[in-house]
Amino acid sequence: MALDIEKLLEKYYDGETSLEEERALKQFFQHGEVPEHLQSHAAQFGYFANARKEQPSLTFNHDLALMLDPPRQGPVRKLGAWLLRIAAGLALLLVGFGAGWLYQSKSENGAVLAAFEGKEAGQIEEMKKVLAFEQMDNTSASERIQAVNHSYAISDADRDITQLLINTLNFDPNVNVRLAACQALTHFADETAVKEALIQSLAIQTDPNIQISLIETLVAIKEKRAVDQFQQIARNQEVLDVVRLKATEGMNRLNADV
Amino acid sequence: MPLNMDLQAFNQRILPVQGRLFRLAQMFLRNREEAEDAIQDVLLRLWTNRQQLESYQSVEALAVQMTKNLCLDRLKSHHKQKTSSETDMVTMQAADVSPYRQVENSDSAGLMHRLIGELPEQQKLVLHLRDVEEYTLEEIEEVTGLSNANIRTILSRARQKLRENYLKAENYGTGY
Repeated sequence: MALDIEKLLEKYYDGETSLEEERALKQFFQHGEVPEHLQSHAAQFGYFANARKEQPSLTFNHDLALMLDPPRQGPVRKLGAWLLRIAAGLALLLVGFGAGWLYQSKSENGAVLAAFEGKEAGQIEEMKKVLAFEQMDNTSASERIQAVNHSYAISDADRDITQLLINTLNFDPNVNVRLAACQALTHFADETAVKEALIQSLAIQTDPNIQISLIETLVAIKEKRAVDQFQQIARNQEVLDVVRLKATEGMNRLNADV
Repeated sequence: MPLNMDLQAFNQRILPVQGRLFRLAQMFLRNREEAEDAIQDVLLRLWTNRQQLESYQSVEALAVQMTKNLCLDRLKSHHKQKTSSETDMVTMQAADVSPYRQVENSDSAGLMHRLIGELPEQQKLVLHLRDVEEYTLEEIEEVTGLSNANIRTILSRARQKLRENYLKAENYGTGY
């Protein structure tokens, strides 16, 4: 074996070996029992065999794939991004125009006034006109109810409005208008003036519907000062039984939650 | 053969050769990153000229030639850069080289790598193609354009020179 190898080595250094013979040499120097005097050849063949195993790194292949691919996909993607931007821009523009158009058409529809605040002010004026005491003979009940209902739309009512509603509640000849005023006032029940007016009104109201409505409102806002008034109604023989029962119930509830 | 080679076909023909090109570049440049960079360049050039590839008998032989030429070009420009900025860095470089050599000498593979690198250009190319890549003589002919007899002579010289230098280095190393 060693003799064969020596012969092969001689051939190898002369450049006469075949690929098979060279492979046999590599095999021998890597795995065989190498005699001392041939040891110096081992490094060479070991190096060749190992060098053959070298490969470019994994990231290299990845980078290469990216490099070869973009020429075909790149422009399409870029175009997509461009189109998207243009579309977004157009959409924004349309939304802007749409909002402007909507706002304008809406304010044109609202009878006379362009701005919302002006509209509200106009409503208050109209409401005051309709509900004015001296006008009562000239307006119909439904007109006055409508005027009362306008107060729902008013965000911050001043003393004038609430006083107007209190007057309507107390003095309007029509029961339905008074009821509407009563319900409208429950929206402003936070104000102390309104609370007091509701209690006083309970003393002068004779219509059971309004009496019940007032009792309910006063119980709902937990107005303790109404207890005395409730007691009077409960004792009053002239008042309808249903109302007296309601008054007793309200009295109990106001006394119950301290 | 279709005129337009698509990416898949390109990959099928080139990827198997990629390792060989890399090893060749590494042999010339003696640096992993530079070798990868070089063959990336070669592969990109092949890809951009893929229409003309059909006219070549062997794409692999072409790729090997391109890699060899590119590496030699780069070595030349490296050398130029070095010499232009070398004058006042001689001492530094001398200090640089010796530890580098010590590291290389520490294992015989590193030593072999260096010794092959020191062979003449043609010798190291032929030796690499034959002894590392196990090319047939015909394949080497295709890449180098040398005759069969010529290749054998060069191969013989390269192998003997390598052994000679190796023994020298070893003796020097042990004697040192």
